[in-house]
Amino acid sequence: MLQTSNYSLVLSLQFLLLSYDLFVNSFSELLRMAPVIQLVLFIIQDIAILFNIIIIFLMFFNTFVFQAGLVNLLFHKFKGTIILTAVYFALSISLHVWVMNLRWKNSNRFVWTDGLQTLFVFQRLAAVLYCYFYKRTAVRLGDPRFYQDSLWLRKEFTQVQR
Amino acid sequence: MRADSGLRPEAHPRPPRALPPVPSANQDDIPLSRPKKKKPKTKTTLGSASLEGFVQASVHGPSEGSEPPSKESTEHPEEAPVQRRQKKTRLPLELETSLTQKKTSGSSLLRNENGIDVEPAEEAVIQKPRRKTKKTQPAELQYTNELGVEDEDIITDEQSGPEQQSIFTAPTGISQPVGKVFVEKTRRFQAADRSELIKTTENIEVSMDMKLSWTTRDVALSVNRAFRMIGLFSHGFLAGCAVWNIVFIYVLAGDQLSDFSNLLQQYKSLAYPFQSLLYLLLALSTISTFDRIDFAKTSVAIRNFLALDPTALASFLYFTALVLSLSQQMTSDRIHLYTPSSVNGSLWAAGVEEQILQPWIVVNLVVALLVGLSWLFLSYRPGMDLSEELMFCSDVEGYPDQAKGLKVSS
Repeated sequence: MLQTSNYSLVLSLQFLLLSYDLFVNSFSELLRMAPVIQLVLFIIQDIAILFNIIIIFLMFFNTFVFQAGLVNLLFHKFKGTIILTAVYFALSISLHVWVMNLRWKNSNRFVWTDGLQTLFVFQRLAAVLYCYFYKRTAVRLGDPRFYQDSLWLRKEFTQVQR
Repeated sequence: MRADSGLRPEAHPRPPRALPPVPSANQDDIPLSRPKKKKPKTKTTLGSASLEGFVQASVHGPSEGSEPPSKESTEHPEEAPVQRRQKKTRLPLELETSLTQKKTSGSSLLRNENGIDVEPAEEAVIQKPRRKTKKTQPAELQYTNELGVEDEDIITDEQSGPEQQSIFTAPTGISQPVGKVFVEKTRRFQAADRSELIKTTENIEVSMDMKLSWTTRDVALSVNRAFRMIGLFSHGFLAGCAVWNIVFIYVLAGDQLSDFSNLLQQYKSLAYPFQSLLYLLLALSTISTFDRIDFAKTSVAIRNFLALDPTALASFLYFTALVLSLSQQMTSDRIHLYTPSSVNGSLWAAGVEEQILQPWIVVNLVVALLVGLSWLFLSYRPGMDLSEELMFCSDVEGYPDQAKGLKVSS
């Protein structure tokens, strides 16, 4: 059974990482006095996303559903989050690499092209969706039904099997 | 001290006490043959037995005073089993507490209540003590209500040892007032105040209830509600910011949007910070409205949208505003890096300003309108939160099982 204190701790860590992500997405363009600042911000952001992925998977492993071997059920329930997080992680890394590549010599240079603009829009939109889905998943994993055998779980299992 | 010997026949009006059902002799003998047992229940019976023996001693001690105790000791072996059988039907504590009080009130009372040592000649005088017994009842009940079992165990424990001796010794100082309770802490019994112990146990129960009630579900629910509050703030703040921004732009652009260079010069330091702030607020607002319509459950979200639910519309408008706002990132950076066209390497060639700024202003206006409309839509039903209802309140039939499981695990 998931302890309330443990869950609160994990949830706050997740929210901390999410809010850092949102902060960097919002203000990284402002903080470009030196290219190194942006580089460090981007690296930490990507690590934060990676950490969040690890944490959510650890939370999955901790559920009764997973331990009972019903990985399919978990994947079925949270596939949106898993796929979106992976996509967002890829988009983030590619945008960061691209932007840093363009701005490394001169951080105040106008670097925008249509391609970069498109990638930027998609990355930022994915960030919002990722934030929403991730938050929702983290909050939903606090549901005690995931941590014990119940009628609900059996019903869900039969639904997935169909 | 045979003055009260006339009381004894009075016991006869209570036949059940005088003539109890006779159990097998073995039962009676067991407590006596094994003075110490580990189980508390057996201790109780043993204690009562030993106490009764003691009671007799206490009865006869004061009354017969200077008389040699040898007489008493010969009498009692026969009477003790009868006493024990009677006592088993009562609350054991009653005996102990009554014992303490009877010691003060007088010996004749005890004799009467126990129905022992009764002789026909003593009938007349017993009325008075009887009344006293009735008076003492409330106090006894009070004690039995509080932590009665533990208390009783302890006293019998202490007295079980010198059982045989107590028959011969004087009664004073053996039974203590029951204000103290002995609690086993780290393998040792320590005295604790009865009233304090009751308070602490109550406190523990209360805190246990609190802990039980605060589950991970409640944590998740409170986090969800907290985020909804942040969202509610960001909706209003965003609407205000967007309106202020568009008013600011139109004021700086002058009449008929003629003074673009003034707008660029004034606004260039503000463009990028505002763009960043707009993204932050739009992201928060979009996530918050997605939460409200439970966007992840696509069927519900689409149904709400088709039913023109204000919250669903608001989330759509926020998302559109977000896309529009993001699409202006390049222009915002261009404004941020504005230098007059006369300067070398300027991004702004002469005559390009209107071409770039016109759509930018229109997009900003649209964003402000969308955000303002969303805010209005949301304020129509500010309490709506489908994700809370669907996530935490669905599948209610699964919960009885879960509640049972919780109880078992705890």
